Amino acid sequence: MNATLSHLIAEYQKWTATIKIAWSKQLAYKLNFILLVIGPVLVFFFIRYNLWSAIYKIEGITTLQGYNFEQMLAYQVWVMIVGFLGLGYNGMNLAEDIRLGRISAYLIYPFGFWQFHACGFLAFESIQFLVSALTLGAVAAMHWVQLSPLPLIQGLVFCFCVALFWFQINFMIGILAFWLEETWVLRVMMVTLTQFFSGALIPLELFPDWLRQILNFLPFPYLTWVPVKVFMGQYTGDLTQAFGLILLWAGLAFACSSLLWQRGLKAYTAAGM
Amino acid sequence: MFNPLFKRIGQRIGHYAGIYKEFVSNCFAAAMTYRFHFVMLIIMDLLFYLSILASVDFLFAHVNKIGSWGRTEFMFFMAFMIAIEHLHMTFVSENFWEFSYDIRTGRLDFILLKPVGALFVIFFRSMRPGTLINGFFPWYYLIHFGSQLHLGPLQWLALPFLVLLGLTLLTSIEILLSMSMFWIVESMGINFLRMQLQQVSRWPDFVYQYFAQKFFSFIVPVLLVGSAPVKFLLDSSQWPGLVWVAVVLLICWSGIGFFWRKGLASYESASS
Repeated sequence: MNATLSHLIAEYQKWTATIKIAWSKQLAYKLNFILLVIGPVLVFFFIRYNLWSAIYKIEGITTLQGYNFEQMLAYQVWVMIVGFLGLGYNGMNLAEDIRLGRISAYLIYPFGFWQFHACGFLAFESIQFLVSALTLGAVAAMHWVQLSPLPLIQGLVFCFCVALFWFQINFMIGILAFWLEETWVLRVMMVTLTQFFSGALIPLELFPDWLRQILNFLPFPYLTWVPVKVFMGQYTGDLTQAFGLILLWAGLAFACSSLLWQRGLKAYTAAGM
Repeated sequence: MFNPLFKRIGQRIGHYAGIYKEFVSNCFAAAMTYRFHFVMLIIMDLLFYLSILASVDFLFAHVNKIGSWGRTEFMFFMAFMIAIEHLHMTFVSENFWEFSYDIRTGRLDFILLKPVGALFVIFFRSMRPGTLINGFFPWYYLIHFGSQLHLGPLQWLALPFLVLLGLTLLTSIEILLSMSMFWIVESMGINFLRMQLQQVSRWPDFVYQYFAQKFFSFIVPVLLVGSAPVKFLLDSSQWPGLVWVAVVLLICWSGIGFFWRKGLASYESASS
């Protein structure tokens, strides 16, 4: 009993210490961090707001596939929030770490490599949560979005599931470096496809019907469109099923990355050792 | 009197062309070594171009016009921007990621020691040979939508030069922005911001409201990259936009020279 408890305490201490280190690493270059946050906000204010204003106001359109201007603006705000919370960029240097043999050091630590990256992910998520809260507070003050407790909580939990999916996908793509020279291309491809097919650029209601039918069988709508609709309190589908599906995709990504990690270690040559 | 000057300029251009030829052959050799990466880069860029065109196409399935432009004008503009992005991604973009690494690790020292313009080496040493193939994509759509817009012979003749002008402006603005890496050190944020500005430039200027339009035409003039040349192509009376592009280019180049010298003065040379 005592041994189990002390093991749990030791694990807890390892996780908290690693999360703290990850915080300080991510906030070390403050201006760099601010620029990373400013980017999506800049895109929202200067592109999305202006583009949809031009379409609705200049053209005198009142509704577009069920969206009036205020609803479209709210949709775009929630896309930005889902982007903050869901889309991480962990594992970006994983390929280089594997190629140059830097992961050798992690393999002898009494803390797993996946766990180390999971701590980085949790640290990143907590920072992004604060950034999202501040952004949301500002846009809510301007009455661009309406905040209701239940959709907000459901949306936040869904976003965490989306973030888990992205964490696993990024980790999986990163460890492909055991066999590939560069893996960032795969990551950018995945982000590009997701941006388009998840409704992050334009709502899925504007897509042709045949394409929407196909997308129902893929994870993309669950990465932006579904959480946005949940936040807006307009998701008409089965929410339990949506949670189940995003977790299923995250689980699949986890299983694939675990398998790849085990195989990859056998192929690892530990360059520089 | 002018002959020696022309001769010297010619020799200099020849010298730099020779160096660039070496850069290109090195990049080809590296690209051929990693064939999977080579193919993936081509697919990645094509997916990106398709997503841009499809977004606008889906939008125009529900609206007839945005501003004064209909679907054809808008798609022509998008193809024009993709043509610029294609050249940018192929010949320039990789270098921006390497620049901060050079500063951070002190590798810049070795570039400064070379008997050639350091800015030339920094921003033109790397290219992606694979994505050259993708050039057919934007040009197919430029020709397709340009024909629907009934462009005249002079407009067709001007088209490649205007694409190059847009590329020069975009690259110059980005190089000027990248000078801040001397002080910021970590490049992720500034490169991220650079890509967001590319996104801003990807839409015509009339989409933006007064403040945003003025800011991105005069302060950070990324809207001129596509809007000024395409507006001129569609209506030749819009030539003042091109004059403003020339002025902005001169300002950018002066700024690059100024901040390059300032940056070098504060460069700490990590490896020394």
